[in-house]
Amino acid sequence: MSQPAMINRYRWYELVGIYAGIFLFLSFILAPFVEGFLVSLKPLGLLFSSPYRFWPENGSFEAYRTMWVSVPGFARYIFNSFFISTIVTAVVLLLVVPSAYAFARFKFRGSGALLAAFLAVNMFSGAVLLIPLFRLMRSLGVLNTYFAMIVPGVAFLIPSAIWLLRTYMMRIPRELDEAAFVDGASHFYTLRRVILPIAMPGIAVVAITTFIGSYAQQFIFALTFNSKTEYMPLPIGLYAYFGRQEVVWNELMAASFVGIAPAVIVIFFLQRYLVSGLTAGAVKQ
Amino acid sequence: MGQLNLRQVQKFYGTYKVLKCIELEVKNGEFVVFVGPSGCGKSTLLRIIAGLDETTAGDIVIDGERVNDLPPVKRGIAMVFQSYALYPHMTVFENIAFPLRVEKMPEEKLKAKVEHAARILHLGERLQQKPGMLSGGQRQRVAIGRAIVREPKIFLFDEPLSNLDAALRADMRIELAKLHRQLKATMIYVTHDQVEAMTMADRIVVLNAGEIAQTGAPLELYHKPANVFVAGFIGHPRMNFLPVTCKGASDAGIEIDCLGQTAIIPVYPRAGMVGATLTLGIRPEHIEIGSGDLSLTITPSVIERLGAHTVAYASLGEDGENYCATLPGTVALRTDEPVKTGIRAADCHLFDQNGMAFERRVEMTDIDMALFDPAAA
Repeated sequence: MSQPAMINRYRWYELVGIYAGIFLFLSFILAPFVEGFLVSLKPLGLLFSSPYRFWPENGSFEAYRTMWVSVPGFARYIFNSFFISTIVTAVVLLLVVPSAYAFARFKFRGSGALLAAFLAVNMFSGAVLLIPLFRLMRSLGVLNTYFAMIVPGVAFLIPSAIWLLRTYMMRIPRELDEAAFVDGASHFYTLRRVILPIAMPGIAVVAITTFIGSYAQQFIFALTFNSKTEYMPLPIGLYAYFGRQEVVWNELMAASFVGIAPAVIVIFFLQRYLVSGLTAGAVKQ
Repeated sequence: MGQLNLRQVQKFYGTYKVLKCIELEVKNGEFVVFVGPSGCGKSTLLRIIAGLDETTAGDIVIDGERVNDLPPVKRGIAMVFQSYALYPHMTVFENIAFPLRVEKMPEEKLKAKVEHAARILHLGERLQQKPGMLSGGQRQRVAIGRAIVREPKIFLFDEPLSNLDAALRADMRIELAKLHRQLKATMIYVTHDQVEAMTMADRIVVLNAGEIAQTGAPLELYHKPANVFVAGFIGHPRMNFLPVTCKGASDAGIEIDCLGQTAIIPVYPRAGMVGATLTLGIRPEHIEIGSGDLSLTITPSVIERLGAHTVAYASLGEDGENYCATLPGTVALRTDEPVKTGIRAADCHLFDQNGMAFERRVEMTDIDMALFDPAAA
């Protein structure tokens, strides 16, 4: 059996401490998920039984079937969420990759001020700007469209994406650009053939954070700029389980879990690109 | 053709002058090495020739055409970087083919060219591998391959061997010299390593603080350095410098007084030097055990025994200036035991107060027949 490196060896009480700490903080994050999952397994009647039972008695996946029946548009909501996030991610990447390259490589007047401005924009949450945005959307006549949910999403996600990717691209040796330039390549050719493939792990990180960010923030834009049922994304769609008299908790929880599944699948595929060490052999370090 | 002229090239960063009026002509097919200490502007000069940096003033002329405003590829140059700058996601083949892909060369022609370059550089079996799998020397060869496929007029090398270990560097030096003979192209090579400069160059350009200190063939710089800087920079260990007093000048040379001894150094004298304090330069390898025209008793504080020769370091005079002697073979020396050493006047260099050399009375053709130019005779 191989021993771990000297610095990674711990006494038993240190291990206990470490795991106790992990357990404490992890339980805050994971307990709602566990609880939510268990609720989704319980029949609605049992939810309010007294005394409350943590473990479901005669639990079943029945809610995962009935949720589709009680809210027939649910598949559409998942699609909307997925659709909006995908378009947002694609547009963000399309804009951010060249601009991050420019910020990382070129010296131009105002680049520092622009970057600072991007950071400043990030300090406002979208909520602060909702009312001006609403008025803008109304004058443009784009309320109740996908456009109204996608464009603000893109705008709010661009700054952090530029910062993230710029930092990654600055780590790519400048000699690679210079070598390509000496060999006659234009900036766009260099970006496409040299920088893009090397920056792939960084781009994957940006894609994942943008996708997740878009999934999370679409709630607020959808709530304000859209009132059409067929364009509703998942977070708004979940309100459909809030009935007039009661909330169908078990179906709501089941729907939440089903709703995040597409995002999980996308992230699973993107993380393949998160391989480090792709620049090995480019330059002598 | 690959003829390069630099006309009064200057480069300022703000008020800091990196290059002060560089004037240089490089002949077609010549192997020119820029050498100098770090910060002397040699890499900047190379980048200006390449087109990666712009001049503040002055012209760069390649084959009679002013290329200041042309991009590198239109200048007909190719550059090999110190860090290799290989594209890590491409195979060796694609790395070498990159410049040809840029100019959209047909696949068949491209393949033939890449394979030809790979054959020259012994990379045939490595073509499908990625740079990460190659050793330092192989990576450097790929970088050179990327330069030669384009068949440029001028090759620029920016310290290409400084990342390799000593043994590999010696091998690559020989390979580069062979490559130069094979391609017959103009090559400009930047290094801070004087061994690389001495071994490979047809002509060395010594740069100091943004100025050309001297231009000349390797042995010319060694035997007839124009000033104290070149004298100290070329040769290892460094030349020893001693303050001396000028006592008189004649056709035979300048008579000097050095630590109470007099000697006549065979140089071409200049008027009005009598009584002035001059600098005597003597290379460590020209110091012998025993007595010579000048004799010095030194007490070595450190002795390095390298087998082929023995290097003794001592302090000299009141201010304890370093004095170094390289003696052939293994010599029976002990630290802290005085030993008498001698210098031949004919081996000495003499510099005036401004550090400019008095020309030595040596014919370069006496030193090396290869330097004899039959056309001039």
